Amino acid sequence: MRRLRIGLTLRIVAVLVVLGVAAFPLYWMLVTALSSNADLFAERPRLLPDFSQLGVFVEGLGDGKVAGWLLNSLLIAAGTTVLSIGLGIPLGYALSRFSFRGKALLTLVLLFTQMLPEALMVVPLFSLFRRFNLLDSLGGLILANVAFVLPIVALILKGAIDGIPRELEEAARVDGARPLAVLTRVNVPLIAPSIAATAVISFFHAWNEYVFAVTFIFTPEKQPASVGIANFIGELGTPIQTVMAVAFMFTLPAVAFYLFAQKYVVAGMTAGAVKG
Amino acid sequence: MTLLEQTKVPRSATRRRRSPLGSRWTPYLFLAPAALFVLVFQAIPLAQEIFLSFTRTTLLNPTRGRWVGLDNFVRIFGDEDFHRTLVTTFVYVIVCVVGAVGSGLAVALLLNRGFRGRGIARALITVPWAAPGIAVALIATWMLNAQYGIVNRFLNAVGLGVPGGAILDSPKYALPAVLATTIWQLFPFTSVVLLSALQSVPHDLTEAATMDGAGRWATFRVVTWQVIKPVVGLLALLMTIWSLRRFELIWLMTKGGPVGRTETLVIDLYAQAFESKELGSAAAIGMVGVVISLIVITGSRLVARAVAKENP
Repeated sequence: MRRLRIGLTLRIVAVLVVLGVAAFPLYWMLVTALSSNADLFAERPRLLPDFSQLGVFVEGLGDGKVAGWLLNSLLIAAGTTVLSIGLGIPLGYALSRFSFRGKALLTLVLLFTQMLPEALMVVPLFSLFRRFNLLDSLGGLILANVAFVLPIVALILKGAIDGIPRELEEAARVDGARPLAVLTRVNVPLIAPSIAATAVISFFHAWNEYVFAVTFIFTPEKQPASVGIANFIGELGTPIQTVMAVAFMFTLPAVAFYLFAQKYVVAGMTAGAVKG
Repeated sequence: MTLLEQTKVPRSATRRRRSPLGSRWTPYLFLAPAALFVLVFQAIPLAQEIFLSFTRTTLLNPTRGRWVGLDNFVRIFGDEDFHRTLVTTFVYVIVCVVGAVGSGLAVALLLNRGFRGRGIARALITVPWAAPGIAVALIATWMLNAQYGIVNRFLNAVGLGVPGGAILDSPKYALPAVLATTIWQLFPFTSVVLLSALQSVPHDLTEAATMDGAGRWATFRVVTWQVIKPVVGLLALLMTIWSLRRFELIWLMTKGGPVGRTETLVIDLYAQAFESKELGSAAAIGMVGVVISLIVITGSRLVARAVAKENP
């Protein structure tokens, strides 16, 4: 009995330590944002957020620059999500339901692209975009992001469609529905949870993306938040509280959505990677 | 005769009308837009990059490359800095894989026992995984700040302070700091995946093992490990590939420094392209990375196949 209790206490302590390690950096981001200068540079740092400093968030958004970054990130992320799902659903459907020449090759290509680093593709994409006048535009950035997220989206959706019994499609077909109508009316509603997961994955892939954004965008007003925040690193002009407040606003949506969709996202990421 | 004709005609007609596949072109209509996209934005650029690796091309004049054959490869493999980059890459990848999978397994085992609030704990530990790499690099740099960073303040308080305090500028501590940050970001993913694998371990099997007098370790080795082994293998593969392509976290924390101590292949490639402006050697470095990834993937599949053959 005694041993059991000691074991239990140890386990609780271990769980708390892990949670502390997991959550501390983001907590510290908030504490730093909400510290007065005096607290920040004091001999003993403040360990709890000082909520009288909440104005820093308003200040961070104050001159409209940061709001512009966040808006650009939002547009890029939304565009990437819509396009990658729009292209990913039919591709996933084709891979799941049809046998056709080149299927094995296509699957292999989709898996292969997942090991290509963005930093490797930045140079050839740069010259491609220059030729088609896509540099310094949010649209170009969306295309580059879709190229990287589309394979995983398609593979996840293929897995989801694999799980739908073909008999459900038969009924619609007997009623004379064409293949596209079968896909949109029968399959799409049934794989809605997977579509939501791929939406979260592609949205935050684009939201977090940095390499393409920093290379392809020149105009400061078109810059997304990832680039804006990265420029804070090593720069001394902006107060650290503002930097952390902006970073916190940038991080919060990603964390919130992942918590919400965590189960599907993790299942999708592993399934997409295992297949083939 | 008439009967045969009668049965024949409607058959082919129904087949055309009710064929589940539509016409034979239907699959291509479905996949064409996405396939075209992958072709234009992945396959062709990759082919171009492969071509670049055999040329001497500078960023200032990217369309006027000169074909130099294997020169870039000969040069980088003769360069001692590149040897260091290869070693750093291997160390980085191996420590990431072992660290992320090991810590993930430990946390998964910890959370596998039912207790109140497990759902909340499980959700909370995913926070690092969900945080954008940029934000992680930013907060890590701030926490590791020489003067005001909480890490240094803590280390000084317990008497373990790094002389001068600038961990990310220290040839000795920069790589461990980058590794710790990377593993911090990865362990939620591995532990959530491993936790769901652990929950698929049949209860009666572990119980039977305990009944037979097996200790905890023996039960783990004989029952649990056998079930989760494929998942561990998959995670190791994923972590390897992700670590080989990780860029922004390392770049924003150290830019590969100090003196190249945190320079992995991808960092080296980016620095060659945009700082030395040598697109040709950058492409060659990139190809080395791609070949390493291909070897890892092929190797892991061969191992998986051999294992599957051994215990069918």
